[in-house]
Amino acid sequence: MKKDILKLTLPSKPDYISVARLTSSAIANKIGFNIDDIEDIKVSIAEACINALTKSQYINIQFEIRDDRFIMKVENVSTEEQLDIENKEMELGILIIKSLMDEVKFSEEGVEMIKYIEDGNI
Amino acid sequence: MSLDIKIDFDEGKGIWVVLPEGEIDIYTSPELKSRLVEALDDKQSDILIDGDRLEYLDSTGLGTLISILKKAKESNNRIILKNIKPNIRKLFDITELDKVFEFEE
Repeated sequence: MKKDILKLTLPSKPDYISVARLTSSAIANKIGFNIDDIEDIKVSIAEACINALTKSQYINIQFEIRDDRFIMKVENVSTEEQLDIENKEMELGILIIKSLMDEVKFSEEGVEMIKYIEDGNI
Repeated sequence: MSLDIKIDFDEGKGIWVVLPEGEIDIYTSPELKSRLVEALDDKQSDILIDGDRLEYLDSTGLGTLISILKKAKESNNRIILKNIKPNIRKLFDITELDKVFEFEE
């Protein structure tokens, strides 16, 4: 059973979020996802990074490719309200992630977002 | 990639026409916000956002549009969106903001 792991650490600055987006899109493309799924993955990783942005100095992202699923983990993502950012925007971000991904799990470490791989082609 | 914003006032129709080219994200949203606030301060009128060259929008972009809509409503003005790409329209549908903004088909 396949379990390939890729890790990406970015400084917590808005200008680097596009790097997370492009990286996720490159990996999703390699897995063989269709354009709509790649778009969902890009949008979701960006929303998770935006959520994590104000919480630590670095954003830690882990991509995991399995036979039947693509898992993205981002640390320091939470649904708890913060005083220093627009809470409405945070709610929108969480709502978007939950709608676009097949499974979304929040834990103390952060968020785990899963997109199923239909035919397992790579 | 980034964002290039063209804002012109259509004298004939009495409306601001905004053509954002690129991405409205956490990095570029503040500039869009200040440009639109500037426009509304200059002339209080409706705003038409043409999404023909808009490739990407995130939650901060949605937040920016909501705050501009609030400002526009203070003077009873509207924000109309047209030519919005399906991948972006999807985000308005998910967040139910499709009911808050006007879309011109």
